[in-house]
Amino acid sequence: MRRFVIRRLLYTIPTLIGVSLITFLISHLAPGDPVRLYTFGDPNARPEDIEAVRHALGLDLPLPLQYVDWASQAVRGDFGQSILYHQSATMLILARVPNSLQLAIAALVLQLLIGVPLGVVAALRRGSVVDQAIRVFSTVFHAVPSFWFGLILIVVFAVQLRWLPSQGMLTIGKDDWDILDRLRHLVMPAFVLSLAGIASYARIMRTETLEVINQDYIRTARAKGLLEPTVIAVHAVRNALIPMVTALGGILAFLISGALVIEQVFTWPGIGQLTYQSVVGKDYPVVMAGVMISSLLLVISYLLRDVVYVLVDPRVKTG
Amino acid sequence: MNDRPLWRSLAFVTAIALLATACGPSSTTPPASGSAAASASAAGPVQKGGRIIEGSFSDIKTMDPILVSDTSSDYVTSKIYDSLIQADPKTGEPKPRMATFDQSKDGLTYTFTINDKANWSDGKPVIGDDYLTAKKLVAKSKLTVRKSNFKDIKGWQDYVDGKANTISGIQIDKADPKKFTVTLTKVSCDAIFQISSYVMPTQVFGKYATDTSKDEIDKAPENSAPPVADGPFKFSQWKQGDQVVLDRNDTYWNGAPNVDQYVFKVVADSTVLAAQLKTGEINFGAIEPKDLADVQAQEGLRVTKVPQLGYTYIGWKTDSTTVPALGDKRVRQALAYGLNMKDVIQAVLFGEGQAHVTHFVPVQWAYPDPSTLNQYPYDTQKAESLLQQAGYKKNANGIYEKDGKPISFTIHTNQGNKTRETLAQVASEQYKKIGVDAKVSLDQFQAMVDKLSAGDPSMDAWIIGWSLGTSVDPYAIWDSTQIPDPAKKTTGFDFGGYKNADVDKAIDEGRNPSNGDCSIAARKKQYETFSKILNDDQPYNFGFVPNSLYVTPKGLQNFDPGAFSQTYNINQWWIKK
Repeated sequence: MRRFVIRRLLYTIPTLIGVSLITFLISHLAPGDPVRLYTFGDPNARPEDIEAVRHALGLDLPLPLQYVDWASQAVRGDFGQSILYHQSATMLILARVPNSLQLAIAALVLQLLIGVPLGVVAALRRGSVVDQAIRVFSTVFHAVPSFWFGLILIVVFAVQLRWLPSQGMLTIGKDDWDILDRLRHLVMPAFVLSLAGIASYARIMRTETLEVINQDYIRTARAKGLLEPTVIAVHAVRNALIPMVTALGGILAFLISGALVIEQVFTWPGIGQLTYQSVVGKDYPVVMAGVMISSLLLVISYLLRDVVYVLVDPRVKTG
Repeated sequence: MNDRPLWRSLAFVTAIALLATACGPSSTTPPASGSAAASASAAGPVQKGGRIIEGSFSDIKTMDPILVSDTSSDYVTSKIYDSLIQADPKTGEPKPRMATFDQSKDGLTYTFTINDKANWSDGKPVIGDDYLTAKKLVAKSKLTVRKSNFKDIKGWQDYVDGKANTISGIQIDKADPKKFTVTLTKVSCDAIFQISSYVMPTQVFGKYATDTSKDEIDKAPENSAPPVADGPFKFSQWKQGDQVVLDRNDTYWNGAPNVDQYVFKVVADSTVLAAQLKTGEINFGAIEPKDLADVQAQEGLRVTKVPQLGYTYIGWKTDSTTVPALGDKRVRQALAYGLNMKDVIQAVLFGEGQAHVTHFVPVQWAYPDPSTLNQYPYDTQKAESLLQQAGYKKNANGIYEKDGKPISFTIHTNQGNKTRETLAQVASEQYKKIGVDAKVSLDQFQAMVDKLSAGDPSMDAWIIGWSLGTSVDPYAIWDSTQIPDPAKKTTGFDFGGYKNADVDKAIDEGRNPSNGDCSIAARKKQYETFSKILNDDQPYNFGFVPNSLYVTPKGLQNFDPGAFSQTYNINQWWIKK
């Protein structure tokens, strides 16, 4: 087992190097220069000032040299200073991790609470109107662009009905720990973020339940005279859930980094919002730090998942 | 702009934020007490309390004045650090604020006297040393883009290069610590704005400006959490990506604000900003024309219109080798007559703007008498006859050509900015009617910035905007030394390669007059010459000046924005309940 983990850890190294190289090349080769961008149209920033700052930031060096400089700092855990914020890129990202996590976890909970029952119901009522409706719902919500849906929700619930706040994560003047206020801010972004997941969970759950429901042990349970709800909840759903648990690891990492658009729409100050703005402003150190930290999270969650696989299923060989 | 996809609108917003950087730290500096007392009595006695919550599309980046290079940061920082000199909010002329100033006869030495009441929020007085500290910090910083602002101060370069321990041109009065002089190496009329700007608390930042300091200031934690303030508000909290909260500074020299807090809140885009004004989640913000009717219909909200300190234009590559027609003044004049700017303003700004025909905008003191300018009224016949005068004949496709070369070019603009996209489309359609083939290319903003600043020859024509700062000096945009040269890899803002010796001379006489006369009257004369030549030469189709549309609750008193500053008197604002 230890050898398995160590080997998997070693595998992550070339993965991360690859990710860093590709991200570095894409972000640097795309047109635009951060200093020229943020000083564009500013007559008080003279060309000599701009060039001096570019020099201080090493932006005038050949690209391979810039990468080596970056990498030699990055292996020591230093992702450099943000060009726009003049602060440590790592600290900028870490400060936003809790915000992204809150949103991701809320969305995950919604996905499970809504997606799983929908899938089970669809399976039990296979072919019925309910099943059809759920299938249509899944397809539609999988396809709906989340920024559009988010704006619709804002117009309806924030502007027309005025039930929910439209932006941010805190009412101005309220305490950070006002849970109720935080939940009110969370409802819309978390719901929009969970939509695609609800749809896919419902579909996976439907398939799994259909498979499980025809197994011998379900027949046995029924034969024992157990009530139908008990059969479904204890025997069918529990077993159908197993393959879904393994998907969780990857999904959590996706939720953290994949909330980019939704964080923009609702001005949720998470990693996605920061990464997006850094890409637009060509703030290379923050882009790199954001991608590397997200990749690291993803790689670790996959590793954990594989370890869990090995632990629960002895048929998976570690050798 | 009603139907643009969100990521585009976000890119647009960012682009605007980046573009609007045009004002240096001294640009949004708020002026001193105005005509507050009169309106206060009309609305009854002043009521204290409440908060101003302003919506913005972009978060701040820093609160260190020497590192600020974006509008949002500048805006918030100016509420924490007050400026010595202000631009008059309505005209832009230099006026005293936290300090009075005096210029010596030879124009080389400025004497500043800081207001007796000006204190830092920790109780220490604001003194000349704080000015010196601020300048030393600029010299120490490796990431500031403001170094050249101070290069005319005597001894500046020696200090930057480490050859001197202090800046010899800055002398603090031995008897009065609030009095100091700044000596320049040459007369420069806009110097007052450039050299004055902010002062910084020596008790906080002095440790980054010692003889042995390197560039520690660039990473100072105080940059994102300033501990003391001399402006109307002091820093309380910055939740990055969400909001900045400032508290009332009770010791503010110009009178403590009536409201308790100022909050700068980030919102996704203009649609959301308008929605938040309606719900009251924010109570101050600038909306776009498309939301005007909707907001005006709201009871309790008031819209204040102010013509902007800037314009949106179509630039011509006057030294183009591929489209030589653009080098001909008559062709450019035809392109001015051939585009009905009133239609454009109606289409893209819902009428909230005015057509523009030269560089200076109406709110600037340097703006010439408009009756002396050719307004280029829409006239297709005149446009075509100008093309014919220039020797062009219509070819089989209905396009004017000379020597087998049709007048054909591409107008570039940044994708996602609906205003500019529409201007480009309308221009393309209308130019076809006068026999000019103008294609439209929607580019990525970042790529456009690269190409324009480097003088890329492929940019025949382009649409962007200028945000003008407090300084009227058009040198950076129009002096022929500012033409970018791809061969020498030099950059500059004279993207179109426009060169006119008379323009260069007028610019020079307006900034460094040979007779040393920096009076507004003398400079205005130079700038009239400058404006008339540009008006005639049409190196740009100068496009239009949009209105800023500021929305506040009707109950907000003493709100009296100018194009140069909207919040100069924020300490006098109060909310009537």
